Amino acid sequence: MVELKNVSVTYSSGVDALNNVSLKINDGDFAFVVGSSGAGKSTMIKLLLKEIDATSGVVTVNGYNLSKLKKRKIPAFRRTLGFVFQDFRLIPSMTVYENIAFVLRVIDAPIKYIRKRVPYVISLVGLQAKTYSYPDELSGGEKQRVAIARALVNDPQLIIADEPTGNIDPELSYEIVELLKGINDQGTTILMVTHEHDLVRHFGGRIINITDGEIVFDEVIGGVNEA
Amino acid sequence: MKLSGIKYLTDQGIENIWKNKMMAFATFCVLLISLMLVGASVLFYINIDSMINGISDKNEIAVFINNDATQERVDAFGQELLALENVEEVNYVSKAQALENMTASMPDYEILFESLDGDNPLPDGYSVKVKDFEKVSETVEQIRGLSDVKNVTASYDFVEILRELRKIVTVVAGAIIIALVIVSMIMISNTTKASVFARREEIQIMKYVGATNAFIRMPFFVEGMVTGLFAGAGAFLITWLCYNSVYGILTEQIGFMNVIGIGSVIPFSSIRIAVLFSYIIAGSFVGALGSVICTRKHVNV
Repeated sequence: MVELKNVSVTYSSGVDALNNVSLKINDGDFAFVVGSSGAGKSTMIKLLLKEIDATSGVVTVNGYNLSKLKKRKIPAFRRTLGFVFQDFRLIPSMTVYENIAFVLRVIDAPIKYIRKRVPYVISLVGLQAKTYSYPDELSGGEKQRVAIARALVNDPQLIIADEPTGNIDPELSYEIVELLKGINDQGTTILMVTHEHDLVRHFGGRIINITDGEIVFDEVIGGVNEA
Repeated sequence: MKLSGIKYLTDQGIENIWKNKMMAFATFCVLLISLMLVGASVLFYINIDSMINGISDKNEIAVFINNDATQERVDAFGQELLALENVEEVNYVSKAQALENMTASMPDYEILFESLDGDNPLPDGYSVKVKDFEKVSETVEQIRGLSDVKNVTASYDFVEILRELRKIVTVVAGAIIIALVIVSMIMISNTTKASVFARREEIQIMKYVGATNAFIRMPFFVEGMVTGLFAGAGAFLITWLCYNSVYGILTEQIGFMNVIGIGSVIPFSSIRIAVLFSYIIAGSFVGALGSVICTRKHVNV
């Protein structure tokens, strides 16, 4: 669950990135966050990752009050989340398997569990054949599927996807969102930031529009395929 | 942390060294030289100490009496010596005994002594032991003041030189050690910085997936420690070789060894284990510490 209560963020340069934003995303929701660049989407993501702190207001993510979260508790908090980045952020020197297993190693999971869990999430994103390939040998869509598998592997309550289709051919973008929808159907909350309105219109669902640091639109609309 | 986790992080640390070969090698060299200079100073110091002790233990002033002194005068001379304040013990060494001692101390020159053919050029004398070696120079002056003294020899002036040397070594070594620790730290810090840079993507991702700072730092810690360990081992081998050759040269100087006492120069075999452990522990400690300090600065959630 994600909740923002009267949150404002003012950078030290004096720029107001978010202005008194209140927002609630319930467990199991799928929400699109849209808005033009510079509108405050990135600031919101950084807030949710606890990369920055709110200047005022309360941010609660998965039961953690981020404004009160101590530094040494940040790792424990981040283990309840999964992230997908626009630029994939796969480690080029590691195979698909290692890139995903890496996350479990970091949280000190038992090796037996790693050996079972990693092939399972690889099969969820349909990349069994590429298990031992390196990121350079994959297409953009495949890379993003690896990144999604990596976000999934520690079974997070919430996945935050920041422009996951930004570096992918448009026809493959639908595939990626389908995949995220499928994960959402299993109960994982998904927050996807995008500026591709076609995609949003196609899938529908909850749309949150941020413009100039304020929420100007927050409603559930029917998707084209669902209409 | 589980064993598999520790193994993983150790592997990562060793991989860091490989990825960062040139920097790791530079660090290795600096650490090696630092350790060796420190080690050499320490070894030098303990040997001088041992020599000073060796000479003090012998604690002997050799007093030679004029050849024309009568036997009565020689006996009386012994009493005069014993009456001096700082004198503890006086032993009469006759001409004959002095020759015997000398022959025994130089077995290679037996022929030389045989060629004397019963003609003994050595004077009668006394071997004097003092109570307080610190005051030996005054005692020597007092003995010189007695009549019929031909010659007085004591190794105290050499001890003075050794004491001075020890002082200098302490000061110079102290300065060297401080300078080298700083240089080593800077080197390790830079190497760690380079290896943090090489891994910045991984570190970024590790942070996002909830790695603790300790977990992220561990490979760099291992990297520093292993580099230090190898530098310690290398320094040990080089020190071993150098020490043994210096030891060989010194122990060949029979005259010198006689003054300082045989056994005052410490053979490497008796300190080998201690030197090895000191080097390895010091090397890995400095290596690990350098990387910890650096990663504290560069790796933060």
